[in-house]
Amino acid sequence: MRTSILRATPMAFAAWLAASACAADFSTPLPPDRVQRVETLPAKYPTTWAWLNYAGDRIQLRNVGSDSREIKAELQARDSSTLLVADKRPEVYVADTVWSRGTRGTRTDFITIYDTHTLNPIGEIVLPGGKRALITAQEGMFTFTDDQRMAVVFDFTPASSVTIVDLVNRKVLGEVEIPGCSLVYPTGARGFSTLCSSGNLLSVQLDAKGAVAGRSETKAFNLLDTDPLFTASTTVAGVRYFPSLHGRIQPIDMRGDEAKVLPDWSLVTAADAEGQWRPSGWQIVAGDEQKLLYVLMQQGAHEGTHKDPANEVWIFNTVNKTRLKRLRLVRAGSSISLTHGTEPLLLVQAGDRLDVYDAHEGALIRSMDLPGLHTRLQIEPLR
Amino acid sequence: MAQFDRVTEKMLRGFASRTSRRNLFTVLGGFLAGAAALPLLPVARAEGPEANGSDPNSGAPAPRHSGNPQDPGDATKCDYWRYCAIDGSLCSCYGGTVTSCPPGTEMSPITWIGTCSNPADKRNYIISYNDCCGGVPWGRCACQNNQGDRPLVRPSNNNEITWCFGTKSQSYTCTVALILGVAIDQK
Repeated sequence: MRTSILRATPMAFAAWLAASACAADFSTPLPPDRVQRVETLPAKYPTTWAWLNYAGDRIQLRNVGSDSREIKAELQARDSSTLLVADKRPEVYVADTVWSRGTRGTRTDFITIYDTHTLNPIGEIVLPGGKRALITAQEGMFTFTDDQRMAVVFDFTPASSVTIVDLVNRKVLGEVEIPGCSLVYPTGARGFSTLCSSGNLLSVQLDAKGAVAGRSETKAFNLLDTDPLFTASTTVAGVRYFPSLHGRIQPIDMRGDEAKVLPDWSLVTAADAEGQWRPSGWQIVAGDEQKLLYVLMQQGAHEGTHKDPANEVWIFNTVNKTRLKRLRLVRAGSSISLTHGTEPLLLVQAGDRLDVYDAHEGALIRSMDLPGLHTRLQIEPLR
Repeated sequence: MAQFDRVTEKMLRGFASRTSRRNLFTVLGGFLAGAAALPLLPVARAEGPEANGSDPNSGAPAPRHSGNPQDPGDATKCDYWRYCAIDGSLCSCYGGTVTSCPPGTEMSPITWIGTCSNPADKRNYIISYNDCCGGVPWGRCACQNNQGDRPLVRPSNNNEITWCFGTKSQSYTCTVALILGVAIDQK
C-alpha cells in the first residue's frame, strides 16, 4: 500500500502539470460546430476521380489521383445497378431495381437522376414491365445515345429488348425488341448496336421520338463456337475494340448509323500463343487519347480461365497494330481503366484493392482498399 | 562481434570433432520419427478433423458429402465437381442443398447449363444451375467457376445473369446444381 501511494503521487502531479500546460497553450476552447452541414461536390469532377461500381451493389466516387485516396461520395444501388455520367448536363443517372418488401413484393425498375453538385436525387424515370436485365453490372446494360439526350436500357426476361428513355424530359419513349441479341453500344447520331447469337451485329437507328427509323445487320463475324468476343470493349479514336477469348482484337466502327466491322488482328504472336497468353479478367480492356490499347493478359490460360485475374497489361498501338509494352502488375488484376488527361493513370482492380499505376511508366503509385467488394468491379473514369 | 564469431567458431569446431555425419543423421532421424509420431498424440487427434472442416468447434457448418462414392466432394465448397461452371452463392450454405432451394425461396425453372466432369466415374454430365429467388440477398459461399461459360451473346451459357425467371421475385439468393443427364457423346 505504502509503495502504491509513493508511485501514485508523482503521477497525479504530472497529470496536473500537463493540464496546466494545456490550458496555458490553448487559451480558448474549441468553438461549437455548425449543425446540419452536408458536403457538396464540385460541379465538374476532376479527371483524377473515378466512379467505382461494386457489381451493382454499391456505386462509389473515389479520389484515385491523390494519396488521400478518400471516398468522395456513394450512391444507393440495389440490384445490377448501372451508371451513366453525363458531360452535357450536371447529372448522373443510375438504373436500378428494387422490390417493395426487400427481396420480395412489387418490383420496380427505375432510373434515378442525381445532381452532380449535391448528389441529391432530382428526378426519376420508372421503367415499365419489370424487364430490365439483372446481370452483374457491366458495359452494355445502359448507354447514352442522341448526344446524351436519350438512354438505352438493355432488357432480358429472357426475351431480349431495349427500353428507350428521354433523359431531358425524363420519360420512357418506348421499347424495341432485339430477339437473340444482347447488350447495347451507342451507334451513329441516334441509335445503338447489339451483339447477336448468330454471330452478327444488329444496328438500330432511332427517330426523335425514340421509334425505330432503320435497322441494319452485319455479316456474321463473331466466332461464337471457336473464339467468341468478350462483350467488354473500349473506344480508341472513335472505333470500338472487342478482344476475343483466344487473343484476337475486333475493331468495329460505330460512328455511322450502320456499324462497320473492320479487319481483326491478333494480340498474340506465335510464341505468345504457345505460352497460352490470352485476355483474361472482367473489364479487360481500356484505351487512351494517344490511340493506345491496354489489355489484361494472362499466361497459361485454358478453358474456364477467361475471367481469372491477369498478371500483365499489354499496351498496343492501334495504328500499326503492334505491341509497345508489357506491364507486369504487382497484384493480378481483374478490371482495368484509364483516367483521362495528359498524364493518365492506369486503374487496376486486384482482389479487394484498387492499384493505381503510372500508365506510361508502369510504376505503382498507390493502392487503396475496396471495402465490401465481394465480386466484380466496373470502373467508370471521368471526362 | 569478432569475439562472438570466435566463440561460435570454437563451439562448432568442437561439436564437429566430437560427432560424425552418421551421428548427425541419427539425431535428425530421431527428430523426424518424433515428428511422424506427433499426429498420434491426443492434441493432434483433436486438431485432425479441423483440417477437413468437421471440427464441431470451428464455427463453420460441417462439410456435406453425398455419401455416394460416385458423387464425391463437399457440396459447401466451390471445388465440388458439379460447380465447374457456377457463378454465385451455394444453396448448401443457405439452408438448401446441392439440389434444393432454401426454405422460403422459389426455384427458377429457367436456367443456364454447363458440362462438368465427374472425377469418380469419369463421365461428363450436363448440369443445370437453377437459381433460388426471393430469399436473403446473396453473399456467403460465393463461387466463381467458369468452365464452359461464354459471353452474354449466348445467354444460356452465361453465368452472370440472374436466372430468376418465372418466379414471384427476381431477387437472387443462391444456386443449385442439378444433373440433367450424361453429355450425349459420353453415353
